[in-house]
Amino acid sequence: MTSAIGRPWASAVVRMRNDPAVALAVFMLWALLALFVLYPLAALVARMMVDHGAFTTAGIAAVLTDRHQIRAFWNSLLLAFLVGIAGTAVGFLFAFTAARGRLPRALLTAVDAAVLLPLVSPPFTTAIAMIFSFGPRGLITYDLLGLKGVTVYGLTSTLFSEVLTYFPIAYLTLRPLLAAIDSNVEGMALSLGASRWRVFRTVTLPLTIPGLANAFLLLFAASLADFATPLILAGNNFPVLPTQAYLQITGLFDLRGGAALSFVLLLPALAVFLLQRYWVSRRYYVTITGKGAGQTPFDSIAPAVRSVLLLACALVASVIVYFYALLLYASVVVALGANHAFTLQHYRVIFTDGLKAIRDTLIIAGFAMPLGGLYGILLGYLITKKTFAGRRTMELVSMINYALPGTIVGIAYLIAFNDPPLELTGTALIIIACYIFRYGPTGIRATVALLQQIDKSLEEASQGLGAGSGTTFRRVTLPLILPAFFAGLGVVFIRSMTAISATIFLVSISWTLITVKILENITELSLGPAAAFSVLVVVIVFAAIAVIGRVMRFFRAPGAMPTTSLLGG
Amino acid sequence: MTISRRLMERAARGLATIPLLGLALAAQFLSIPAIAADTLNVYSIWPENWARPMFEEFEKATSIKVNFVRFSSGEALARVIAEKNNPRVDVLFGGPVETFAAGINEGLFEPYKPPSFAALPSRFRHADGQWIAIADDPLVFMSNDKFIKDNGLKAPASWNDLLAPAYKNMLQMADARTSGTAVTRIFSILEVYGRDENKAFDYMKKLRPNVQLYTKSGGGGTLPVGLGQAGAGIFFIVDALDTKAKGYEVTISFPQEGIGTAAEGIALIKGAKNPALGKKLIDWATSPAMQNLFAKYKINFVPAHPDVALEPGLAAVLKGAKIFAIDADYAGANRKRIVDRWVAEVLNP
Repeated sequence: MTSAIGRPWASAVVRMRNDPAVALAVFMLWALLALFVLYPLAALVARMMVDHGAFTTAGIAAVLTDRHQIRAFWNSLLLAFLVGIAGTAVGFLFAFTAARGRLPRALLTAVDAAVLLPLVSPPFTTAIAMIFSFGPRGLITYDLLGLKGVTVYGLTSTLFSEVLTYFPIAYLTLRPLLAAIDSNVEGMALSLGASRWRVFRTVTLPLTIPGLANAFLLLFAASLADFATPLILAGNNFPVLPTQAYLQITGLFDLRGGAALSFVLLLPALAVFLLQRYWVSRRYYVTITGKGAGQTPFDSIAPAVRSVLLLACALVASVIVYFYALLLYASVVVALGANHAFTLQHYRVIFTDGLKAIRDTLIIAGFAMPLGGLYGILLGYLITKKTFAGRRTMELVSMINYALPGTIVGIAYLIAFNDPPLELTGTALIIIACYIFRYGPTGIRATVALLQQIDKSLEEASQGLGAGSGTTFRRVTLPLILPAFFAGLGVVFIRSMTAISATIFLVSISWTLITVKILENITELSLGPAAAFSVLVVVIVFAAIAVIGRVMRFFRAPGAMPTTSLLGG
Repeated sequence: MTISRRLMERAARGLATIPLLGLALAAQFLSIPAIAADTLNVYSIWPENWARPMFEEFEKATSIKVNFVRFSSGEALARVIAEKNNPRVDVLFGGPVETFAAGINEGLFEPYKPPSFAALPSRFRHADGQWIAIADDPLVFMSNDKFIKDNGLKAPASWNDLLAPAYKNMLQMADARTSGTAVTRIFSILEVYGRDENKAFDYMKKLRPNVQLYTKSGGGGTLPVGLGQAGAGIFFIVDALDTKAKGYEVTISFPQEGIGTAAEGIALIKGAKNPALGKKLIDWATSPAMQNLFAKYKINFVPAHPDVALEPGLAAVLKGAKIFAIDADYAGANRKRIVDRWVAEVLNP
């Protein structure tokens, strides 16, 4: 753990001077953060507060005192809290089962695939499948159960859909963590006479707490920023703030009010973040010490419990598979609900009219992925393992674009980068930068969580033997945090393929994206092409994940990091 | 152990080169692709499957290539506002006139009067030429055939028919905060009640329990009605006829009291890089040259230009329907107040 939290400023500066590699990296990251996080935000605030050359807060005050917006604010917190709790629980269930359930390889891959499905398609696909299945004429509620007058809109279905969409984030955060816990520790506790439940409660669970906290934070933030799901499912009786902010901008053309609503959202996101930092930082978690011996595999869960866990996972997985089977079906029939004749016409459409969008999306995601992954581990490493002035601030700043609703990030980028000399609108770079700084934080969190498990003695040994911090990072720390790198990289790629809220404002005449095409097709009622595009996205992302998994297997060192099949590998 | 360590080292070294590679390749995206002089840039609010054939025909007629992206009206307007100091497009194409009215307040447009200006009725043009109408789009009732049959109803033929208990929680229509369709609907109801706001709002409040969802976009409810997730709704005729054309079993009907219609506009962006080309598109779009093509591409808008004949199929649907224009001045002056009141009294009572 970072033992130097309270170290005086002066000595930190001295340390930095003695370590030019760290100083350079810190300087570069600050420059990037200033350009792509702080400056757009400042540009947005300036646009918000200045009305025809005069300073004003009237527009903002009007929005913030509106009782409907206040209600929406509390609704958002409630929803984000519930999504955080439920999503972390489901994510843990899957991660624990996958890491400790001793599943056969094929089953593990199947579970991984099902878990990743929601992550690899645009968020509103689940929402649309919900309406098809649980609406007044839903396939399940009406055709199967014969229920009448069912309402699909509201808190329950929004929560359900968001948990299904976002729990894979928790899974991705917790899985490597659980895999990294030295099973010898659990084995020792077991052989000392503790019951399996006691081992789980007093050894495994406490070791996972930083990961659980991280997962909760990520889910809370994800829900707080999601406008697409509530837009389709929340209905009129459960307004939430991200959707209100989006509507304020796109519907009422009120950039000021929309931005103000989003800034309100930043407060709870920040609060949860600080709470989590404080809470996690008081615990000491080291299981990789460099002094470890080989691992002894053992059964850490009883067979009966294993069956229950498997059943629960199977249930969640089957709901997901059903949703996506429905999507696949919609892509090969003429018009779902009206004409169920088989056709490949929708795929023909997306590979002719939609070809440019597919090409553009792949190019952009291809660039965002490695850069985002690298950004994640570099920043995560520096803030966890190095002491430098403004370390906490850097961590906080790096989370801003993730915590802010995408609509605001998109508008901020559009305003900030429209004029020379920083004229980036209309280029691919603006979209790539948006992805890196918006989705890179997943990699940062994963790196931080993983590094908190690595004892400082490993690096100190390296430095004691004369290696510089650059060499130590490359040869000692980097291999240990490779799983976090690939988790971060995977998430950036997946989000590059599936995100819409920010980038809908950044696509241009020169560069467009598949997700924008999907939303467009949905609003044009061309459900077929929308479904075909979604299926294509799923296929591309799965192919990419398989490649990443293969690469990881190639680099995996036996005995060092048993990261079995992270990202479906 | 040695082998694996070497592998890890190789991995680490490989990773270290990624940023350099990435930066080198990313550099080429910094430059904005040069756009040819005879290319026009447009934000289209019309869906791509209608806008694309129109622009292809325009290119055929004038050899001017149109680069376009499609956005919903709110998104398009938000972008034009954000890009105000350095406009990316020359023309804003399609979309309800009230979007353009909001744009005028932001000073987004360059007034221009095309040759058709004089021929157009006054409600199809802004007095100074800030926008010009290219089409007209009446509202309709659209109901799901199976729902109507199951409940022993008839396709709604009066605003009061929608108050029937059978529709409880089964109507979908647009949200007035985001949709021009909804604003046109509310002003229709006001007209029906002789602009007696209290009576009109009483009606809307009575209708509220029957509304399952107020959708973000005007056409958002057409698919649920097509699928039977909702029983009926109020939509623009283009969206309703499109649903029918997709094969969904729906019926289009009109209230005997009458229903409103909204014009679709086009405007030149202030500070446009290619104003001359933009004007050519406006000339073409506001003339019979484009509007005669609606029928060919099955675009069910009513042409704005008086010289263009209504397509017979569309004429048959509209036959006998009582449709009135929404008074632009009255709507413009009262829009914000009425929408605010709708939000406070109807949406969130």
